[in-house]
Amino acid sequence: MDRRKFIKAMGASAAALVAPLPTQAARNKPSLRYLRPPGAHKEAEFLSKCIRCGQCGETCPNRCIKFFGFENGIASIGTPYITPREKACILCMKCGDVCPTGAIPKIEREANEILEKVDMGLAVVDEELCLSFQGKTCGVCYRACPLQDVAIKVGMLEQPHVKESCIGCGLCERSCIQMPQAIRIQPARQEA
Amino acid sequence: MMEQPRQPFFLWRHLNKLRLVTLSLVFIVLIIIPIFHVYQTFVAAHAYDLLAPSEKRLYDVAEFVTSPFTNEPAEDLDAVKGNTWSGKFWGLQLSDPLAVVSQIAASLSFYWPFILTALIPVILTILLGRFFCGWLCPAILIYELNSNFSAWLKLASLKLPNFQFDRRLKYGVLATGLILTSLVGSLLIATIYPPAIIGRELYFVIALDGFGIGVVIFIGTLLFDLLVARRGFCRYVCPGGALYSLLGRYRFLRIRRIAESCNDCAKCNAVCEFGLDPMKDDFGQECNNCTACMAICPTEAMTFTLRPTDYPAQGPGHLGRQRKRENNFEIREAAE
Repeated sequence: MDRRKFIKAMGASAAALVAPLPTQAARNKPSLRYLRPPGAHKEAEFLSKCIRCGQCGETCPNRCIKFFGFENGIASIGTPYITPREKACILCMKCGDVCPTGAIPKIEREANEILEKVDMGLAVVDEELCLSFQGKTCGVCYRACPLQDVAIKVGMLEQPHVKESCIGCGLCERSCIQMPQAIRIQPARQEA
Repeated sequence: MMEQPRQPFFLWRHLNKLRLVTLSLVFIVLIIIPIFHVYQTFVAAHAYDLLAPSEKRLYDVAEFVTSPFTNEPAEDLDAVKGNTWSGKFWGLQLSDPLAVVSQIAASLSFYWPFILTALIPVILTILLGRFFCGWLCPAILIYELNSNFSAWLKLASLKLPNFQFDRRLKYGVLATGLILTSLVGSLLIATIYPPAIIGRELYFVIALDGFGIGVVIFIGTLLFDLLVARRGFCRYVCPGGALYSLLGRYRFLRIRRIAESCNDCAKCNAVCEFGLDPMKDDFGQECNNCTACMAICPTEAMTFTLRPTDYPAQGPGHLGRQRKRENNFEIREAAE
């Protein structure tokens, strides 16, 4: 390799290093769509109150609460999150009972309390993927919902219609038989 | 007439063994809690038939251990949860004072139900000093094994560097950590504080997919101890140790040297994990009452005392060579 080629290659690699990497550009990738435990405060307040003791995860009877490493930035290392497609929240409200810090407030396990105070997200139906909208009667999401007819209703051919009062526990997304899932939780924290 | 040297109570020199038992117990409990949690989830799911063979073994062992005490493990085993960073023991919630201080720094607000969980630890620290570091911290067990390991390496004539820093460095780390925590608005201290890391990571590896990044940070501190300064993290860096030292500055329970029975052998200085100078009566605010110096003292010259400040320097031990030389000199002078 002659000198000119070598210098060119060096210049190119230096430019590649300085330029933003594609992985850095896509920080809000869709695979990072996550929910905070039920009843948790909005993101900024949650991060400033959570001490990362892990008791919410240790008490979750469904073991759906996982903990962040580096993947969501340094500020949220060790904080709890839920990936609804893997394991969704069953709204037992034990994490709020056990949280000592007030990051997840205590909420009674009672429908009105939960409807009023829990806001993890909102389910969104992709009608192109949903079997019921394609003429095959399904209705699994409706049957998985813990707040049937309040958070989700079904129409003709069991077509799901999500209501405003959906709290985003994710059980519908967990249960969807389509791959990829036709109903997803849009996390509330990303709007805030 | 020379006054009779006071003997320490005979049990004091065995406290160090009790301390190692306590540390091991804390560590074992931190392992048992996640195992019991996994067992609870299996019970709650009524899923015994669906478990893998290894999970069935876990279920059987946990059932065997807990069945004499509880008929409803899914609810009753919730009694003990958490770790040394913050935990619940039969309804009594206890938290590390550092957790409370850093939460106040991060949120710039006072959430009293949480602040009060640190009340008992704070009172105990004010009375007993930095005892958490020596008696409860789950990381200390590994750090002490690590420092034994470096002693073995020394025996194998592999001498590792052992730099001395200023012990006040950790107060700087505490202040910087709190300021950063406050600026970011997120508890960054919790990600580098070893007791919090150990409790969390043990849960991750037993109940979830595997170790998180805390293990990398913890191994970093182990390497720092091994390759840079012996017990360097606790001595120079640990923000929790800094907070406990400040709280325990005027602690009531102290170790003191009985100068009458001290022979200046300096074994106490050699064994002190925090690099203090017990032989010169210099314990200071960083002594954690670990009683290692009591256990090793060949002449039983270390005992407890109840007073809020250290004894003033008592000079060389009465059985030591230096004191004898001075005495002889005085006698000779008197004779002349």
